[in-house]
Amino acid sequence: MNLPQVHLLLNHWPILGALIGLALLLIALVTRNYDLKQASFILFGVLAVLTIPVYLSGNAAADAMKKQAGWPTSLVDAHEGAAVLALLALELTGIFSVVALWPSTRSAKAEAQSKSWPTMAVLIASLVTAGLMTVAGNTGGNIRHAEILTEGEAPSSIAAMGASFILAVRYFVIDYSRWVWPFVEDLHFIGLILLLGTVGILSIRTLGFLKQLPVGPLHKLIPLGLIGLLINVITGLMFFIGMPFFYTGNWYFQLKIFAILVAGAILVLFYCTGMFRKWGSVGAGEDAPAYAKLIAAASLLLWVAIVIIGRYIPLGESS
Amino acid sequence: MQGTNIPHFFLTIEDSGLSMWVRDNPFWAILSAHALGMALLVGASLIVALRLLGVPADLPLAPLKRLYSFIWVGFWIQVVSGLLLLIGYPTKSLTNPDFYLKLALIAAGMIVMVMLQKRVFADPGLSEKDMMSRGRALAILSLLFWAGVVTSGRLLAYTYTYISYPS
Repeated sequence: MNLPQVHLLLNHWPILGALIGLALLLIALVTRNYDLKQASFILFGVLAVLTIPVYLSGNAAADAMKKQAGWPTSLVDAHEGAAVLALLALELTGIFSVVALWPSTRSAKAEAQSKSWPTMAVLIASLVTAGLMTVAGNTGGNIRHAEILTEGEAPSSIAAMGASFILAVRYFVIDYSRWVWPFVEDLHFIGLILLLGTVGILSIRTLGFLKQLPVGPLHKLIPLGLIGLLINVITGLMFFIGMPFFYTGNWYFQLKIFAILVAGAILVLFYCTGMFRKWGSVGAGEDAPAYAKLIAAASLLLWVAIVIIGRYIPLGESS
Repeated sequence: MQGTNIPHFFLTIEDSGLSMWVRDNPFWAILSAHALGMALLVGASLIVALRLLGVPADLPLAPLKRLYSFIWVGFWIQVVSGLLLLIGYPTKSLTNPDFYLKLALIAAGMIVMVMLQKRVFADPGLSEKDMMSRGRALAILSLLFWAGVVTSGRLLAYTYTYISYPS
């Protein structure tokens, strides 16, 4: 399977997922159904991870098309523009969803005291996401179905806005100053330290080292790790938008994204189930449950591997 | 600017077997080790510093003393991998002022960490409140120094004048 096929395989999921998530959330709010609301948050969290490869593989799909004569690049650019805005809105929705889920994953007490603003933030962000996703889907469909285009139809202004956004980011990262790229790299490394520091201490404690530390208070470091992850998703996207041709066909980059998806899936599984809350009650000197040790070992190994694979990306330039 | 004032022994190092070996295939593996050593050294220092500044407030402070073994393992990984990288590209680093800035910041960062170890963690009789008031200023300094080390280190890839001894 090649990358354009990956794009075609995955590209309907974010659109349908965002609409389904929004519908679930609306029904949950109207009927005051707590479980349904939590389910919509989890769905948005999963989609935020899943949509990253959809966006990245889109560049490969566009490259494959541009090899053929007569393909309307303006339609592809419009779709890419709508897609990047939809991606950003969905990532924002995912972040708010994690914030909204946070109290319930920690303890019953935190859950009872949870505030309502994160839910409102998810609602607003997911409304925007759903709208942008339909534009992304529509402009994407136009590429392959020229027969449905009306003669002289005005192109989507949202898509055009997104396309200029991509050009602006590319200009900023590559041409604005030779120092932008190095400082974005610097931020990517700082994000790496926040993320690995957090995953590291949580995993090491769970595996039975530093046993004098209770797990509960270590929970509070998790937002720090999430901030690191956020910094690295944003800076990583800046690299990708700056030089998509460098990354799209790069084997190390593809492997790194795959490893991040697996690590992300493990975190979502752990975070969104009862496992997380139980693990958080492990006190000083106590042994963590076996499943927690397994997850700790797997995620520590994966994040270490992700750093190593990332360091090898420049080597994949020629492939 | 034919590099006539660049010490000749940089070339001697570059022509050595070890230097050529580093520039060959293990180069990326050594860079990976250098990135992971950074995560260990700076990540562990970051957690010590943040706790001294009160985050997370309910985490017992005294057991964090044991993070120092991680800090030292990270430090020695950095020394060994850093020396290998330096042997691979001596002219590239040693003709770059940023490299000396990085070394100075590493020294400052390690001195602060050792001072923290001696003043805050060595005396088991101190209360958490005393530990925090003794460590606060040093903790802030350590965060600044490590951010400086990472930044000056990352910039090494973009600020060099010579990649190898000019011929």
